[in-house]
Amino acid sequence: MKLFTRKDQAEDQAGAAAEVTPARTVSAFLTAFGKRDVEAALSVVDDAVRVDIHPTGLREGGSADLRAFLIETATAFPDLLVTVKNLIETGSVVTAELKVEGTQAAGYLGAINQEKHLDVDQAWRFTVSGDRVTAVDAYWCQNQLYRRLAVKRLDQISLV
Amino acid sequence: MTTTEPRSRSREATDQVTAFFDAYRRHEVDAMTDLCADNADFFYVPFEVWGKQRVLRGDGKVKTVGKTIWVGLIASFPDLFTDVHSVEANDTGDVVVTCDIGGSQQLAWGAAEPRGQKFSEPHLFIFHVDGDGLIDRISAYWDGAGINRQLGHLEVD
Repeated sequence: MKLFTRKDQAEDQAGAAAEVTPARTVSAFLTAFGKRDVEAALSVVDDAVRVDIHPTGLREGGSADLRAFLIETATAFPDLLVTVKNLIETGSVVTAELKVEGTQAAGYLGAINQEKHLDVDQAWRFTVSGDRVTAVDAYWCQNQLYRRLAVKRLDQISLV
Repeated sequence: MTTTEPRSRSREATDQVTAFFDAYRRHEVDAMTDLCADNADFFYVPFEVWGKQRVLRGDGKVKTVGKTIWVGLIASFPDLFTDVHSVEANDTGDVVVTCDIGGSQQLAWGAAEPRGQKFSEPHLFIFHVDGDGLIDRISAYWDGAGINRQLGHLEVD
């Protein structure tokens, strides 16, 4: 028995294409990030992505910089939990308010591992073209992050 | 007969938030809060002041916590500036703004003593504008460490 005719397949493909929205693309990225699956997260990111991670000082970075940040986060927090609290689609721009949590198990952004629990509210602003993320801007307070990781001074981040 | 197209919700929300930043640029805090609903929610997410007994957070209402923070910020940085880079809105009243905020410190701000230093730091604001055209929610994100470094305050409070 034939389950699909060619017409059905064409309609199915058209329907799938129509379902791709900027918010769904960003959700796919964040879901993969929360699972610490860096390659899956990057699969929806354009090779020419422009990346600003303001708290780390990264400006106009690229795909390699984003990969390095995601790997460092996934490595430092084996129990990483990314909770999306609000996802706002404004045309091709999608803004996510999220909480990042985890227990530190390796050095992170200069802070040595003291096995502290991290929970920091963040906002990520994505620009999406088609089914690809073409720009990422990440905002959070590095003071809050360092405070939770027991860093005492901004000029001595790796000292306890 | 002349008909006037109703303004879209996104246009209306954009105009309201633009007016908010115009007032902020003029340091007119009352005008800023007048653009908000009486019970508008306020979340300055990075704002934490750690005391011995408790932590003060920048969460509450625009017309109480928000107003207090803005008045204090403008007093500490009399030349406070706001450079808006982008404003994006949708038809459910959400507005996302990227901007730089900065100024020269004249008075203590949080734990940062005045050293006459300047700062300029990227901010992300998320507003919601209600069906009456009033802002009923403000959330903001920035890197407090970035500001503290520029002000010469290096302790992680």
